[in-house]
Amino acid sequence: MADIDETNRKITLKLVYYGPAMSGKTTNLMRLHDLLAPELKGDILTLETQNDRTLFFDLLPLGFLTPTGWLIKLKLYTVPGQVVHDATRKAVLSRADGMVFVADSQRTQSVNNSESFQNLEENARRVGLDFDSLPLVVQFNKRDLPRILSEEEIEARWAQAPWPLTFASALTGAGVRETFVRLLEQVYPHADRQFSLTEAHGMSQAAFVQAVAGA
Amino acid sequence: MDILPGSFDREFTLSELLGGISRKKLSAALATLLGAGFRLSSSAGEVLAGTTDDLPGGARVAVRHDLEVLGWLEAAAAEDQVGAAATLLELLLHQGARYHMASALHIEVVRTDYEALQDQYAALQASEARYRALSQQLEERVQQQVGVIETAQRQLYQAEKMASIGQLAAGVAHEINNPIGFIRSNLGTARGYVERLQQFTPAIRANPPLAEAWKRADMDFLIEDFGALLKESIDGADRVARIVADLKGFSNVDHAEVEVVDLNDSLRSVCNVAHAQVSPKAEVVMDLGELPPLRCHAGRLNQVFLSLLLNAAHAMDTRGEIRIRSRHAGNELRIEFADTGHGIAQDVLERIFDPFFTTRDVGQGTGLGLTVSRDVIAAHGGRIEVQSAPGKGSAFTVVLPADGRA
Repeated sequence: MADIDETNRKITLKLVYYGPAMSGKTTNLMRLHDLLAPELKGDILTLETQNDRTLFFDLLPLGFLTPTGWLIKLKLYTVPGQVVHDATRKAVLSRADGMVFVADSQRTQSVNNSESFQNLEENARRVGLDFDSLPLVVQFNKRDLPRILSEEEIEARWAQAPWPLTFASALTGAGVRETFVRLLEQVYPHADRQFSLTEAHGMSQAAFVQAVAGA
Repeated sequence: MDILPGSFDREFTLSELLGGISRKKLSAALATLLGAGFRLSSSAGEVLAGTTDDLPGGARVAVRHDLEVLGWLEAAAAEDQVGAAATLLELLLHQGARYHMASALHIEVVRTDYEALQDQYAALQASEARYRALSQQLEERVQQQVGVIETAQRQLYQAEKMASIGQLAAGVAHEINNPIGFIRSNLGTARGYVERLQQFTPAIRANPPLAEAWKRADMDFLIEDFGALLKESIDGADRVARIVADLKGFSNVDHAEVEVVDLNDSLRSVCNVAHAQVSPKAEVVMDLGELPPLRCHAGRLNQVFLSLLLNAAHAMDTRGEIRIRSRHAGNELRIEFADTGHGIAQDVLERIFDPFFTTRDVGQGTGLGLTVSRDVIAAHGGRIEVQSAPGKGSAFTVVLPADGRA
């Protein structure tokens, strides 16, 4: 959405966690809420769930003030992973500034992963996003479980893909922050081009990442 | 509050987020918590609850939602007291935001789902229309095929019938041909003999006793009548020979080959064949114009002419007239059979070409004569025109292209 509000001196960025059902998108957001210490951090807004599954979305607002006194606000969303909620996924995805694709590392989930990734690609195009240039990080979650694809296998499969690949175990928090930092690194150049973060607001990439994700 | 499409994740104002709550009850609760002197105002300065008077010496606490200050709570009370009330307000705002976002998203989702359904519905309708058109086409094709099969069946039936009649006729003609040949020949010889007998008349007259006996026997009349009898017999035999020849030609209906014929010859031949059946009922008047030779299935056309001629004869309640007229006009040949019979009623006229439609008694007609006639003429690229006035007569006109498309 990348909104700029001149009156209230505010820039809003929308980041979306996408992926198949039960791959750990909400868990990522909950860990980020615990792990990150930005200047401003809201509570997680969780809409209705059913047996632990997201029906609408989750929202975690994060923010900080630039040296120039502008509020940079990041809204982190999750989508519902179940196939039936496609219209909701599309609505949440619309006007996103960056995405994390949370894949399930279990061997049995490969088909779900690829179907969901295709769905992401289709929906991105449907809501008018340029999928090829949009910031995207692919996270393979659930590294703590048995019978998962090895890192070598995953890296071999995704070798041709242009997106950064991370490994995480959202339940324990491992790799969650790293994934988010990789996303911020992808998002920053876009936001910088759009809002002149460095020139107008004195925010370098390092300072930007530092301000959101903490030390 | 209006919900705009794609706006579930927009920023909300303080009054929007408090929209679902009774402002009066909220004010009363805050007044109880903070004392009468309190004020809740938005960040834009709008007072939403409490007094508009100055509140000297009180505390002022920000009311935040989603990282941002949406308004202020002021009261002449202790800061921690005001802070606690602000926290309660923030919890309310959080719930308000949940409600607004969920409902806005829900509306968005329902709308896109509805649009998707409508698209699907339109696609379904289009495909249904396509299938309907296909089934319509199929129906037409089936009807066409049924028509073709029925026509073929009728022609086959008629052809079989005519073929067996033809075989019979050819057999009979062949059998009659020989005896009629020697009868004709012998009659000729006999006539010669009578002439030679006549030459003896002067010699017999010269001898009075013989002349007396001659006269008594009335031999003059006898010899004269003998010649007349033989002449009549010869004419009769000639006619039999001609009918046999026509019958033979006519029986060639299974000859599928295309011939070049003068239709006037065919008409004469048909009249000869049908003479016995037609002459008691009607006078046949031939009015034949000059016709160019026509390439056609002559045998089949003979069938048609015979059908029309016999129908015309059949239409006579009392003895009448059948006029056969042939003309060459433009690039068409027109053969008309006009009768002075009882005519055809309008409701019958509509059905005369229908297969197995007949007005005759059971066993008298197959109801196929006109049907097959129409098929045969259509196969020659022509048509049959009908005019009829009940009580006055009917006219059937066979119209054929002069260039012979058989």
